[in-house]
Amino acid sequence: MSAPSAAFGTPKAPAGRDRKQQPDRLPAPEPHPALARIALLAAGLGLGSTTALTVTAEPASQLSAPGGLATFAGSLTGMTGTYLALIMVLLVSRIPAIERVAGQDGLVRLHRALAPWPISLLAAHALFLTVGYAQAARTGLWHEAGTLVNYPDVLIATVALGIMCFIGVISLRAIRRRLPRDTWWLIHLWMYLALALAVPHELVLGPSFVGHPLTRLVWSVLWAATAGLVLGYRIGLPILRTVRHQLRVVEVRSEGPGVVSVILAGRQLDRLPVSGGQFLYWRFLTLGRWWQAHPFSLSALPQPPYLRLTVKGVGTFTRSLTGLRPGTRVAVEGPYGAFTRYQQRRRRAVLVAGGIGVTALRSLLEDLPRGSAPVVLLRASRPEDLVLGAEVRELVRQRRGTIHELVGPRAAAVLDEVSLRRLVPDLNYRDVYVCGPEGFVAAIVALARDLGVPDDAIHHEAFAL
Amino acid sequence: MRAGAWLVLGGAVAGFLGVLGLHRPASSSALAGGTVTQGPGTQGPGTQGPGTQGPGTQGPGTQGPGPTASPGRTTTAAGPPGTVTGPVVNYGYGELATRVAISGSRITGVSVPVIRVAEQFSQELADRAIPVLRHEVLAAQSAHIQAVSGATYTSEAYAQSVQAALDKAHFK
Repeated sequence: MSAPSAAFGTPKAPAGRDRKQQPDRLPAPEPHPALARIALLAAGLGLGSTTALTVTAEPASQLSAPGGLATFAGSLTGMTGTYLALIMVLLVSRIPAIERVAGQDGLVRLHRALAPWPISLLAAHALFLTVGYAQAARTGLWHEAGTLVNYPDVLIATVALGIMCFIGVISLRAIRRRLPRDTWWLIHLWMYLALALAVPHELVLGPSFVGHPLTRLVWSVLWAATAGLVLGYRIGLPILRTVRHQLRVVEVRSEGPGVVSVILAGRQLDRLPVSGGQFLYWRFLTLGRWWQAHPFSLSALPQPPYLRLTVKGVGTFTRSLTGLRPGTRVAVEGPYGAFTRYQQRRRRAVLVAGGIGVTALRSLLEDLPRGSAPVVLLRASRPEDLVLGAEVRELVRQRRGTIHELVGPRAAAVLDEVSLRRLVPDLNYRDVYVCGPEGFVAAIVALARDLGVPDDAIHHEAFAL
Repeated sequence: MRAGAWLVLGGAVAGFLGVLGLHRPASSSALAGGTVTQGPGTQGPGTQGPGTQGPGTQGPGTQGPGPTASPGRTTTAAGPPGTVTGPVVNYGYGELATRVAISGSRITGVSVPVIRVAEQFSQELADRAIPVLRHEVLAAQSAHIQAVSGATYTSEAYAQSVQAALDKAHFK
């Protein structure tokens, strides 16, 4: 009996252009780019409505009352702050239809860019309202703060604000850099608790909601639905898939210096809707590892009953994977990522991988149809780092493509405007897919842009390690 | 990316104007803090009938002596002689009307014949604020009073209603 890894060693001949010829696997559903536009429009509509609700909640005469201006600023920052917090949660709620269009790295980037806003707005909200009420009551700030926490639900909202500010502080780049990734990530999940504590006081006291049952209903439904999405897609669906597929490690195989392939066996893998280039979060259920989930690309399309991921040992966790025992159960979340053949806008593509980025390239390549004539550029510092090289070569040959292996120190095997032009003369007629470490991806994307490839034809996925 | 920003911006403008447009017609009938509604027709079952209470101590729940104001349950527009009733003022978390007793050129009492609130907390706030506000009006002999800490909305509504009552009586 041959080893399970043999199922991936010699890739099957590709299907033709007609995708219906591949009945042995459920293909990932096609992304609908219009959905991203609808979501953005809806997000804007919500922001505008929220602002308008605040403005119309009280008459303009209120502004000239003592503390009126600060109180209004407090309402506005509170309403927009919570609305942005809602958007923040939705961005990472893993709605599959949105993930397929925007890609998780895009969504997380947006989540990160937006993050300072809700926290500062909500801190400003507390400050403005205390000032406004103190001015109205002609008392001191501290005295007024003492009065305010006696309002219904305001004390727990204050605790929530404390949690948010703490998370905001540990997320400052200088501090976050010093924290272990998992520690930071686990602490930052407290944000869900903070939001659950913060929302009630808004519904009970907010001038936009008091006496406005419809607004209150809409706002409550919005938060409940968001909570439902998070529970369903971040917890429910992963549990369902984990239980359905019953994945176990069957083989751990060395692919090169520090690089291992983990081959898993499972049930009903034909029902896992995955495209080449996508990744999953893997949770190896052993004593030391069950609590951490790590994102790794599939390094090949599933070959039921097998799946394969290929990992380079760069951190404590990834290095420990060589010690995985066959039989270890594995929980999965995903697949995620928009780095798929669906993003292709033009007839031809060039695929560029730096280092271990070859894993995503390998499975993406497998998804490209026969005769697609891809150009593949593999970049590695040493010949032995060029993992999965043989498989990639075979896949390129089957698709009548071209492969260039750029091996050696950066100075020797340089990838610049001149060499890229020379290696891919028809660059401007191709989509550019880039995968690899962050720095590498950024450099190639900038290079492609400089050479006139439009943004919508550049697709990338960076591994943040 | 740029197109996305425009979509969000366009949506925001549309949402803002949309809600503003929807709000207009509703504002005349629905609660809009500070809107002054005239007349006694707004009195409902929640109204505090101050029957036994005197004008001086009209905070709901507080008992006090004093014979001045004891309006009937069904009318708030006309109080006893020597009193003038202000309009029902809606302040978002509830609504209230004041009745001012005037003797010669002095304000001798303020009562609250109408008060309805949205929830228990606002009721407590009003219970606390109204005696203070009454005291302030009597001391100032006008509606130019300071808001009670933590009960800004109640205070403003109170002051507004008292001012309107004083205007009605051509006080000073």
